[in-house]
Amino acid sequence: MILEQLAGNLIQGLVLGAIYGMATMGLSLIFGVLKVVNVGHGAFIMVGAFITLWLFTALGINPIFALPFAFAIGLGIGFLFYYMAMQRLIKAPELATLLATFAMGMLLEEIVKLIAGSEFRGYNWAVGKINIGITVLPMTKIYACIGSVLVAVLLYIWFKKTRAGTAMRSVVEDDEGARVCGVNVGSVYALSFAIGIGLTTLSGVLLTMFIPVGINPYMGGGYTLKAFVIAVLGGLASPYGAFFGGLVFGLIENGSYTLFALLPGVEPFALTRFLSFVILLLILLIRPTGLLKAK
Amino acid sequence: MKKNIAKYYPLVPVLAAYLVMFLMGKNMSGMWQLMAMLAFYCALGQAFNIFLGMTGYVDFGYVAFLGVGTYGMALGITRFASFEGLGIGIIIIGFALALVMATLLSLAVGAVALRLRGAYFAIATIGVNEGFRYLIEGARIWNGSEGIIFMAEMNQAFGRELASALSTFWADVMVFIIAALAALVTIYYMRSKIGYALTALREDEDAAKVMGINVTKYKIIAFITSASFAGLIGATSWAIKTPYVFPPEVFEIHYTVEAIIIVLLGGAGTLLGPVVGGLIYGLSKYWLAVILPGFQLLIFAPLIIIIIIAFPEGVIGLLKARVKGRRLGTFIE
Repeated sequence: MILEQLAGNLIQGLVLGAIYGMATMGLSLIFGVLKVVNVGHGAFIMVGAFITLWLFTALGINPIFALPFAFAIGLGIGFLFYYMAMQRLIKAPELATLLATFAMGMLLEEIVKLIAGSEFRGYNWAVGKINIGITVLPMTKIYACIGSVLVAVLLYIWFKKTRAGTAMRSVVEDDEGARVCGVNVGSVYALSFAIGIGLTTLSGVLLTMFIPVGINPYMGGGYTLKAFVIAVLGGLASPYGAFFGGLVFGLIENGSYTLFALLPGVEPFALTRFLSFVILLLILLIRPTGLLKAK
Repeated sequence: MKKNIAKYYPLVPVLAAYLVMFLMGKNMSGMWQLMAMLAFYCALGQAFNIFLGMTGYVDFGYVAFLGVGTYGMALGITRFASFEGLGIGIIIIGFALALVMATLLSLAVGAVALRLRGAYFAIATIGVNEGFRYLIEGARIWNGSEGIIFMAEMNQAFGRELASALSTFWADVMVFIIAALAALVTIYYMRSKIGYALTALREDEDAAKVMGINVTKYKIIAFITSASFAGLIGATSWAIKTPYVFPPEVFEIHYTVEAIIIVLLGGAGTLLGPVVGGLIYGLSKYWLAVILPGFQLLIFAPLIIIIIIAFPEGVIGLLKARVKGRRLGTFIE
């Protein structure tokens, strides 16, 4: 009985993990290329969630079609923020970029709060569900999972096959070397930052397809912490590491919830949040290069 | 001897500012609450500055130390209220608990986080407050998510009259004292080997290491000092002043943000900076709450970005560069 429940929750965790992984790729991309930690990460997820909500409730647009929308808006925000602030701070001490991205996230949260207020919202996109015996998966969750994998694959192809993708990878390896070889490092920075933000807002759409409730200007905070754990699991600088880190994290989160729920006198949900913090510290302590990188 | 005293001249404007604030609050009617709030922000900035300002490391989980300090005082009062004859000694026990708990937490966090540099350090600390909050709620420690309300214990231990005087007046006085103490410790560190070592590590950690400075030791000193002051501030402003403690409130990252803004505004790593930052921040927050309630963060967020880009040295940093070498320069640090 309990094993069946655990297995069911682990399947849910794997589906959610794919989305978590996708939601962390932008963070890892930005860190890999610019060596900047986007501390405001969760706020961009929140923007994606609100784009989905508004398109669905006001215009009746299917969340799947919200994906390109969210990506384009994220791309725009990314470029704007890069040229207005980040560009001047790339060479400044880390303190500066950490605070700037943090403030950027805060600004987005406050703008959305101004427009939408701070109550929790949700939407209901009913397209049926699949019963696989041990657990029931709504179709929206499956779409979100497929979407995440597709985006990750597309990104992979883009990285390998296009000139811009190649330039990005060269900057990740060695920005001085790339500069010497004639790569315009400045524009690679801008493009990577914008794509990183775009991917993050896009992941906000996928996340609301999995969890279509609890949409609120401050919903991003929890995701920022999760994204850090996932990014660190995957080695922080690699978007693919992040994707697999997401899968691992989804399994840990749902698996541990099932087990914590067996303990008497505890709040299992809060304990899973605590556990993710402990995992973060442990990995940073033992293996800061990430679990999945064989180095 | 004279030179030795001259080293501490920069304390004069800081302590004068606190004295003026105290006297204004005490003697002008209706000003006490405002001055107490300003003192809280100055103390917060002063305490945070000891770590952020001197090392250049951003601790996003700083509020956790205020939170455990609050719990320290709350536990001290609730557990010892029924002992006859302890009287005001309970407050001392509470402070001791707050100090010990903040120090222990900072040791635990520091042991992991201080091995890490820059971005990795920030990532490790950003979850400390959330992590601790969820531990308390999840494992139902200290009443879990219901928190502790200890108004009744305060009344039982001190009598109704003294309990009310403690929370409306003496708590704020203690915040003034903590702020002044933090300033003393800051200047002492600045003028001693610790300060020089921290400056070296802030500018270039590798070079400092090569020069034979034990950077880890000095980072830990600054981290623990800063955390224990946070614990004391929590114990007064959040426990004695308002006799209840709820996990979501005392681990709210918002207060870390306020501390960052204050230190940056005034000038990170300066002595007078947190006072100036605290005053500017506190007054503008007070004023904005009157004319544009609910919009403070919307205004402060772009402000942080502008400060970082346009004048990362802060008000006192700029002033310091102006008055360098002049007589006034000996008073500004």
